Amino acid sequence: MNLTFTSIEGKSQGFWILAVTLGALSVIGLTCFMVSYIQGHYVLGTSNIIPWGMPIVITIYLIGLSAGSLILSSLTYVFGKKEYRSISRLAVFLAIVLIFGAMIGISLDLGRPEKGWRLFMFFIMNNMRSMFAINGILYGGYFAIGIFYLGFIFAEKSKWTRALGILAMCWASLVHMGTGAIFGFIAARPIFYSPIKPFEFLAAAMASGLALLIITVVSVFHFTKRKFDRKIIFTLSQMLLVLVIILSVIVGMDKLTHLYVPHREPALWLLSGPFSLVFWGLQVGCGYLLPLLILIHPRFKKTIKGVMIASFSVVIGIFGERFSLIIPGTAYPLPFYPGKIEGFWGAAGSFPFTPVESLMSIGVFAIMGLFFILGLKHLELLPLNEGAEQTPVPAEKG
Amino acid sequence: MPRWGMVIDLDKCVGCQACTIACKTENNVPHGSPEEQRSRREIYWNKVIAVTNGKYPHASTELIPMPCMHCDHAPCVTVCPVKATYRREDGIVMQDYRRCLGCKYCIVACPYGVRSFNSKEQEEKEYHRQDLPPDRSVWGPWPFPSRTHGVVEKCTFCFHRIDQGIKEGKKIGEEVVPACVEDCPAKARSFGDLDDPQSQLSRLLSSRGWVRLREEMGTKCKVYYLLK
Repeated sequence: MNLTFTSIEGKSQGFWILAVTLGALSVIGLTCFMVSYIQGHYVLGTSNIIPWGMPIVITIYLIGLSAGSLILSSLTYVFGKKEYRSISRLAVFLAIVLIFGAMIGISLDLGRPEKGWRLFMFFIMNNMRSMFAINGILYGGYFAIGIFYLGFIFAEKSKWTRALGILAMCWASLVHMGTGAIFGFIAARPIFYSPIKPFEFLAAAMASGLALLIITVVSVFHFTKRKFDRKIIFTLSQMLLVLVIILSVIVGMDKLTHLYVPHREPALWLLSGPFSLVFWGLQVGCGYLLPLLILIHPRFKKTIKGVMIASFSVVIGIFGERFSLIIPGTAYPLPFYPGKIEGFWGAAGSFPFTPVESLMSIGVFAIMGLFFILGLKHLELLPLNEGAEQTPVPAEKG
Repeated sequence: MPRWGMVIDLDKCVGCQACTIACKTENNVPHGSPEEQRSRREIYWNKVIAVTNGKYPHASTELIPMPCMHCDHAPCVTVCPVKATYRREDGIVMQDYRRCLGCKYCIVACPYGVRSFNSKEQEEKEYHRQDLPPDRSVWGPWPFPSRTHGVVEKCTFCFHRIDQGIKEGKKIGEEVVPACVEDCPAKARSFGDLDDPQSQLSRLLSSRGWVRLREEMGTKCKVYYLLK
């Protein structure tokens, strides 16, 4: 199969409206970040009991999407499956944009982002026993590998692409397992603490990355009036089904082991407390059950609409999974001393959504969307489309 | 090298919170507003918790003052990516505000909840000290130039007092003690060298049954509680 790639023209009115909207949202997000930087983090929803808020939820979500997307591009370049070639450039580019967004997310969470460079002084200023510092290597390397990988793909150097593809695939798995280890190795937080966390993160990354890729491919191809092979989407959707099953089994194992002492009370609190709606509704309902039902259903699984709904549901559900890990994970009060701790030291934390934090989070997505459509305009990411008019891509990309 | 530790006699503690106030005054820790306390953003280097066991009429409440436990195997030191939290040779776990990024990983990892994030610039009120916390001219170099938001703070066992006391040749644990120990009206707290068999701490620890909080975490902390 010989494919020629091209960029979109990006001259239509719709493209400019989209670009300006995304630009405005990015500026608003940046302003909110400046507010939180100058005023302090009291403008966010975080506190001493829930130290990590939306920026961290978004960060690990984006890292997952990115790692998943990059791993899937290896189908073409490592495993030589030619039929996926038309979407693989897009997958690699999407992965780079998403990891870029994740890096922004981390810096939004830092109290002193101007000192962020210290994270990258490996072995000199860093404590290399910290999972966070180790992840610094992983994220930095991932970003570099992703860019070189895309460069070699553009240059059509298939030998190098394959070598880098293998490296990128392994590195992406490490990146997401490392992210899982940030949480899984914390003994003090029962909801986090689990040796299976890195694998749960990897499975979630691949499921959500694949779902996002399906959404991106279908909508970009649809809005730019390109034709795509429906078979590819249905094969990908069956892969999504397998990944969702693996993910739900891992999560099930994780929660079941936590239902035994000494983690029983926090686990029960997660499953029945104030955050249970997010867990059961978003994570289990949207993330696992709905896509499973659609992708098993004999008729729905054969329609693009059904696959799209399942993919959207996975993407939203995995976001719920991240949220119901980070926020309740730290909200449950620490058992300092046996007995009932009186007053607020024994009360679970609550997480209010503040305007600054919400706009900041939207800003991260807007910046990524902007980068994505600019990439579509200036890079040759899409297969050549014969004789069709170019129109913009939808806003929710990235 | 000494290994500083603290012993808190739960039989003597009356829960007056004098230690909390003494700590705030000594270390210039910001006073929180009721709103900040509700939203759990007030900074405490030392807290006193009340723990109830049983039901009325057979209930008992224990008061547990909690400074930083200065663990020998401190999870916060392990997780800090930039060595902002480190353990001094004398066992005091310190926070270097110049290095701290404010990533809050240490707050998540601490099993005792003794770390606070400074989420707000300190307001200028007449009764607030805006000078360097505590005054440099008295105590010598302090590891951060002035209090800043965006970093994590914690108890230091009043290391500035200890360092100054050693310089002046005073006896640590008797003449020089942390502010919370000095201000305790019930003399429930004592401070000293855990490795010195002659210290008051060693005598107290051998005389009574004691516990350390959350031993299951394997932190080997250096704050001991004498039981009632």
